[in-house]
Amino acid sequence: MNFKQFKLARIFVAMFIGATVAIASTTENTLLALAAVVIGMAFMILVRKRTKVILSDERTEKIAGTSARFTYAIHTTFIALLSLFLIINGKNTGDAFTESVGTVLSFTALLSVAIYALSYQYFNKFYGDDQ
Amino acid sequence: MEMTNNLKILRAKHNLTQEDLAEKVGVTRQTIFAIEKNKYSPTLELAFKLSKLFNLPIEEIFKYNVHQE
Repeated sequence: MNFKQFKLARIFVAMFIGATVAIASTTENTLLALAAVVIGMAFMILVRKRTKVILSDERTEKIAGTSARFTYAIHTTFIALLSLFLIINGKNTGDAFTESVGTVLSFTALLSVAIYALSYQYFNKFYGDDQ
Repeated sequence: MEMTNNLKILRAKHNLTQEDLAEKVGVTRQTIFAIEKNKYSPTLELAFKLSKLFNLPIEEIFKYNVHQE
């Protein structure tokens, strides 16, 4: 399978997942959505295995790393600020629901920071930190 | 960019397309394009692979221009 065929397969899978999830959400069928995602993922794994051209290399890994760091910084900051706003707003208006959503979001931001710290520590050791 | 290279010239000398070279050193065609345009500095491993392929020392493929302040 060449790169053009791989790209076509990727578009086809994305369309299949999108359409099936859309149908699943309108019919409120969670199982169908889940099945579509799992089938799509399995199909993409098969396609990747059959593709002979190199799809990922050091440059794409560097790009992925930079994008991940960027996404982490933006996402965590946004979620942390939003949770702070919701907690303060909930407290001021006496709305327990808003405050709860804010608390949940703040824990999500903390989880994100924890995962980043742990994975950083792991990869730091993996790439030869001596401490 | 402080790094420059002769990759395009060497590739032409050896009658290789970007795709051929990419396949020989195990990277994507886009990476070869990015290196040629000085938009991406390859890892030492890739630099050695290219050096071995063209049978030239790394310094003859890649040039590091030191800016004096």
